[in-house]
Amino acid sequence: MAVQKDKIIIRGLSKTFYQKNKVVEVLKNINITVKENEFLVLLGPGQCGKTVLLNIMADLDKPTEGEVEFTDGRPEMGNLGIVFQRYALFPWKTVMGNVEVNQKFKGTPKEKRQQAAQKYIELVGLQGFENALPQALSGGMQQRVGIARAYATESDIMLLDEPFGALDAQTRYSMEDEILRMWEQDKRTVIFVTNNVEEAIYLGDRIILLGGHPTGVKKEYVPEMPRPRNYTDVAFLKLRNEIVNNTDLVL
Amino acid sequence: MNDKIRKVLYGLLSVSALALFVVGWVAVSHMEGTMLPTPPATFTRFIEVMSAPISKATLPVHIWVSLRRVLIAFVFAVTIGISLGIGLGWSAKFNAFFGPLFEIIRPIPPIAWIPMIIIWFGIGETAKIVIVFIGAFTSIVLNTSAGIRAIDPLLISAGKALGANRRQLLIDVAFPATIPAILAGIRTALSSGWMCVVAAEMIAARQGVGFLIVRGQESGDTALIVVCMLAIGIVSALLSTFLSKMEGVLCPWQFKKTK
Amino acid sequence: MGELMDNKKKDQKRQLLILTILGLVLFFGIWEIVVRVGIISERNLCTPTKVVQTLIYKLYNTKPDGSTLFVHFLSSIKLSLFGFILAVVVGVPLGLVMGYYKAMDSFFTPLFEVIRPIPPIAWIPIVILTLGIGFQAKVFIIFISAFVPCVVNSYLGIKLTDQTLIDVAQTYGATRWQIFTTICIPSSMNMVFTGVRVSLAASWSTLVAAEMLASTEGLGYMIQIGRNLIRPDIILVGMITIGIVGALMGWVLSLFEKKVAPWRY
Repeated sequence: MAVQKDKIIIRGLSKTFYQKNKVVEVLKNINITVKENEFLVLLGPGQCGKTVLLNIMADLDKPTEGEVEFTDGRPEMGNLGIVFQRYALFPWKTVMGNVEVNQKFKGTPKEKRQQAAQKYIELVGLQGFENALPQALSGGMQQRVGIARAYATESDIMLLDEPFGALDAQTRYSMEDEILRMWEQDKRTVIFVTNNVEEAIYLGDRIILLGGHPTGVKKEYVPEMPRPRNYTDVAFLKLRNEIVNNTDLVL
Repeated sequence: MNDKIRKVLYGLLSVSALALFVVGWVAVSHMEGTMLPTPPATFTRFIEVMSAPISKATLPVHIWVSLRRVLIAFVFAVTIGISLGIGLGWSAKFNAFFGPLFEIIRPIPPIAWIPMIIIWFGIGETAKIVIVFIGAFTSIVLNTSAGIRAIDPLLISAGKALGANRRQLLIDVAFPATIPAILAGIRTALSSGWMCVVAAEMIAARQGVGFLIVRGQESGDTALIVVCMLAIGIVSALLSTFLSKMEGVLCPWQFKKTK
Repeated sequence: MGELMDNKKKDQKRQLLILTILGLVLFFGIWEIVVRVGIISERNLCTPTKVVQTLIYKLYNTKPDGSTLFVHFLSSIKLSLFGFILAVVVGVPLGLVMGYYKAMDSFFTPLFEVIRPIPPIAWIPIVILTLGIGFQAKVFIIFISAFVPCVVNSYLGIKLTDQTLIDVAQTYGATRWQIFTTICIPSSMNMVFTGVRVSLAASWSTLVAAEMLASTEGLGYMIQIGRNLIRPDIILVGMITIGIVGALMGWVLSLFEKKVAPWRY
């Protein structure tokens, strides 16, 4: 693989919450460098602060210490593609309405933004459902809308927060293939958060394992396997065991 | 098969309950010294008031007079109530300033305003509209502000992350998310407003169903009273049916399962 | 760092508190001035200070409406509590049973649907003619007003019971009665209490209406007399008392709820 330039540099990032006479240290001294156009997976157990980390990257939350540097300059609010675990679609807007909403906020004229939205609706394979309300769609289809909406920001950085966490296993596998297909077709820098080891190995160019109390970076793995990867491959299983043995158990 | 028999039995129970009700009514109304009119007497009276005017108006006109008061008051209650509710729910500062005042006024039942309103506005149309307004306004404000505060924070985050400025966040995210709560408020407001108009008309009016029912009381015309009670009940039921239909139209994502 | 954030929050809180005080001061200040200066005539409104004076006066004096404030209050609260408690005792079990047993549902629901849309106030004339204007008559009207929400909410509470819970109980061999008492009733408590809360407010507001239309004492009667005598101060004292008592009753009910259904909090 050619040498890629650094896209996002997270330096010494810590986050502490001050609640009523209680101090909760969630993230401590996190250092991560994200390369351009790579598919980076942040793997960590539930409740370990992955969402907080993502929210800080998206500027929805502020770090207590440290910084997130975007080498091309911090994108303005609305210029980052974010996919949420619970979809966070606007239930009163149609598929089209949801996908075009970012461009609408930016004041793009209707025709132009709908044209762009149409492109991404087709990218996620939802043509024909433009005028459906999200509640009429299955979970997998709803998350496709979420992904199309994120792509429609035209951001070259995509943050995905356990996007397939709420889906059943079968849908999950096919969505994993879908997200890879989209990424191959329209290369962007992807930061994909998950708590699922197999998903991490299946998808990631690199896997950053998070863990500990407070959460820090434990280890980095590079699955040296060509895509499409095979869940039952020996190398796959070996890496899986290695990661599992290194993971904090959360019961 | 068994289920079918069951269904029929339950149906029979419903019918017999209504039959029992009518029989009970007939029995009581034929008792010595009773004030209750018989069902036929009530029906005859109903036919009469449909065409013969009391206080220059037939029953449908009285109903229309009451309804008009409610509708006019409603236009104000909905616009002012939603705006105030959004203000209270959306802005901490606005809430700090107006919230306590609203909380002071809120526990006073709208009906208790009637004497004061009559002193201020007399006993004309304005007074009645103001009373209905008070009756409807509170629940709209409450539901709107509670609805805004109860929005899933994730939707707000999503809106922000997608680049909405504060105004867009309110108009495109917070407001639509609150519509179901607002409609629930309007539903409560409508039944409360209808009750207020009847109460206000009972206390001082020359027309309207509330006036008519009191006229029945004053002249010992119990058949008229029962006709009015039924008319008031039917209008109230129709209003709430109409509103549930509206809910389906206005926010299909909440009330209509398209699946 | 933590202290810094706390300070910021404290500043914000202080700012909001100032706004609250400002709002209240402005409201009562403008009210006072507007009446004093004569922009609004004394016949239409009295000053807040006058309201307080009348309130204190009414604690000991029966003029001009025949009873002290406390006697009015007592008369009203007695009636409303009586009707309200009766409605809860009859309405909640009825609603629960209607929600659970199909036969009860088929029998009572049609009857209930006939009565339900009629606002309690519309019952007043017929009740006055048949029962007079005494204790019975008023309790009956208050009963109707409080009864409807009790039944509706208890009924819904049972209907909304999570089917999974019922299935679990069934596989553990619970009888129908056991499912009703140990699963459906506890899980419906949330709705039941909502109904009781609505009932309490409805009974209080209906009582005021009943007292305004036909009574010789009570807070509703007091404000009605205030209107006849064109005494805004008497009306306002009555309204404020009605509001405070209503709010207090709601507060007591919520204390009671915390005791009976602590899982709600």
